[in-house]
Amino acid sequence: GDSRGAVKTVGDLVAYKNVNDLPPPRDLMIQVDQKNEAILLPIYGSMVPFHVATVKSVSSQQDSNRTSYIRIIFNVPGTSFTPHDANSLKFQGSIYLKEVSFRSKDSRHILEVVQQIKTLRRQVNSRESERAERAT
Amino acid sequence: MTDGHLFNNISLGGRGGTNPGQLKIYSGGVLWKKQGGGKAVEVDKSDILGVTWMKVPRTNQLGLRIKNGLYYKFAGFRDQDVSSLTNFFQNNCGITPEEKQLSVSGHNWGEVDLNGNILTFMTGLKQAFEVSLADVSQTQLQGKNDVLLEFHVDDTTGANEKDSLMEISFHIPNSNTHFVGDENRP
Repeated sequence: GDSRGAVKTVGDLVAYKNVNDLPPPRDLMIQVDQKNEAILLPIYGSMVPFHVATVKSVSSQQDSNRTSYIRIIFNVPGTSFTPHDANSLKFQGSIYLKEVSFRSKDSRHILEVVQQIKTLRRQVNSRESERAERAT
Repeated sequence: MTDGHLFNNISLGGRGGTNPGQLKIYSGGVLWKKQGGGKAVEVDKSDILGVTWMKVPRTNQLGLRIKNGLYYKFAGFRDQDVSSLTNFFQNNCGITPEEKQLSVSGHNWGEVDLNGNILTFMTGLKQAFEVSLADVSQTQLQGKNDVLLEFHVDDTTGANEKDSLMEISFHIPNSNTHFVGDENRP
């Protein structure tokens, strides 16, 4: 049986519909696309999008060599669920990307990205929980 | 179709980012030279195992799987290049290029596909991203359900990305019985 995508839930958020909807290629660096509520990560020369609703937390740190590190943790099942994560339950046979970390020489850029992701995540989460409340 | 095809603005992608260069596809194989010299990639026709096309943002990407386990990704082809080169690979190498699709849904759940050295994360049966296990310095099983891959620090001169991938971890729920045993992959 194919349960996948059978029921659309409020949490069924999609970053982009088409390949050409992605923002124009810039430098290979982490980007935040506010309009599409997506984070773009440079992986092997490609910009890989993730909807901000898949992000559980983001943090950064800097070492003594002025190298910055950013860690993004994604929502996976088996941890505590917020209402809009309910869609994750549908895909329990799946494998989840749980965490990525990058290093960067540009600490200002990393701090900016962390801030942007946090803000966007807050906006999307509060909108989705409002929507879920209205739906009940 | 005798002397092949020459493309002036084709980037080679991989660990460390992308580099622009010139690509020649001719009866003997494939030759890519980095713009301004330096790195070159030369592939003999007989060493090509597989050819793939994928539509990526604003262009097309050619994937070449090579006998020694290497895998090259070239981007910068127009739609008309795809059809002419597809014919070329069929007629000249006897290889029919496969079409792959790129996932842009932004989901973080899907499947992991292992083919030689290449680990592909698929969401909705489309490719979200690929990494090469040859660049993995260490793997760790974290708890019962998580696999962490640590990547070599890439300090080669060819690296031009601003932010570099260091680690990726995957979570395999208990309910997933398909990938039992994969926790111990290299």
